[in-house]
Amino acid sequence: MIEIKNVSKWYGSFQVLTACSTQVKKGEVVVVCGPSGSGKSTLIKCVNGLESFQKGEILVEGVSVGAAGTDLPKLRSRIGMVFQNFELFPHMTVMRNLTLAQEKVLGRSAEESTTKGLALLERVGLADQRNKHPGQLSGGQQQRVAIARALAMDPIAMLFDEPTSALDPEMINEVLDVMVELAREGMTMMVVTHEMGFARKVAHRVIFMDHGEIVEDAAKEEFFGSPRSERAQQFLSKILHH
Amino acid sequence: MIGDLDFEIVGRTLPFLLKGLEYTAQLTVITALCGTAFGTLLAMARLSSFSPLALAAAGYVNLMRSVPLLLVIFWFYFLVPVLLQSLTGAERPPQIGAERSAYFTFIMFEAAYFCEIMRAGIQSISKGQASAASALGLNYWQSMALVILPQAFRNMLPVLLSQTIILFQDASLVSLLNVTDFVGAATKIAQRDSRVVEMYLFVAVVYFAMCYTLSYGVKRLQAKIAIVH
Repeated sequence: MIEIKNVSKWYGSFQVLTACSTQVKKGEVVVVCGPSGSGKSTLIKCVNGLESFQKGEILVEGVSVGAAGTDLPKLRSRIGMVFQNFELFPHMTVMRNLTLAQEKVLGRSAEESTTKGLALLERVGLADQRNKHPGQLSGGQQQRVAIARALAMDPIAMLFDEPTSALDPEMINEVLDVMVELAREGMTMMVVTHEMGFARKVAHRVIFMDHGEIVEDAAKEEFFGSPRSERAQQFLSKILHH
Repeated sequence: MIGDLDFEIVGRTLPFLLKGLEYTAQLTVITALCGTAFGTLLAMARLSSFSPLALAAAGYVNLMRSVPLLLVIFWFYFLVPVLLQSLTGAERPPQIGAERSAYFTFIMFEAAYFCEIMRAGIQSISKGQASAASALGLNYWQSMALVILPQAFRNMLPVLLSQTIILFQDASLVSLLNVTDFVGAATKIAQRDSRVVEMYLFVAVVYFAMCYTLSYGVKRLQAKIAIVH
């Protein structure tokens, strides 16, 4: 479904991604981890064209993301994305956050969007907060709304860019629970995260990145059992032993 | 001399003065609205990644902000008709009229200032908001109109209003084109009846009362917005 082929990216002369190749199949959950500055957020943002890249190709259901003629807004509307800092629209109610793009991008009626929005808010347990503004919610609640907002577009895949990194520890689980449920329902997911518990629970594959390169790309059991690269071993021992 | 002051003249000529004030208020409000709209487009152009557009907008804004307003008023009033004449090959310069020229000048001039305010406003919104809008499939114009500009506008509202108060004061310069704005109306009566002191005192008091009240309102608004944030 998502094919990343030999993608390289430079900021000026500094190379942030070096010949990254991998793919995410339909229904697959792929966790991307690695130290900060390793390029994992940049890579995931290349998938829906929020970041450009200079070399290589990314295909989403056969459509090339970087190609000149690609209708990027259309492609993006089919891929959900959840950000580290939630990025809900603060000047709109929770419900409007969920209905806006349904109406403006998918052309759904106000009624249809609201029904869909309400069902998704119920699903993340926040239907009673629908008339509040994002600023009145906790971080965990905001991130659950953000997931619901992405799901409202009926995406074929979901991208998560460090969805729990900005959260207080006690709120991480409420967000992870929603993501686990989503994974178990068969959603195609690419998740940048340090939450190895989540990876162990639902990931099919784990990708380890360092210095802009994909160092390891292995099935979960293999990755947690015996990572082949020394850098991945060091990384794992650092984040698992505390 | 002070003993000779006759403030009854104000009462006698009030309808005429109020008409002048009405023109000034109208010029201010319409300029503020159109100037903000044009200024917002200029700000979007300045922030565009298409560099010729960004350069052109920056050039325009810097030019307008580097010359005195009075000079721009004279430019448009005296030079634009001549320019239009040579462009169209007409026999005489077209008659634009001082009032219309004033509207045009003020909108073009003030847009440069409103541009800088809106540019700061747009830049005050985190890049993540634009990313989130894009990720949902909104195109550039949609994400600007629905996500970025409403927030930028809200953040900048006190500054936009402060600029409008300055504009209200600057609007008095049009009296030099013989337009009957508030100051223009007062000048005409002052010269006709030789009541310069009374007229200009009255005008000053009205300007002070209005601007002070409006500034105070803006300050209150600013405090209110700061609390909500």
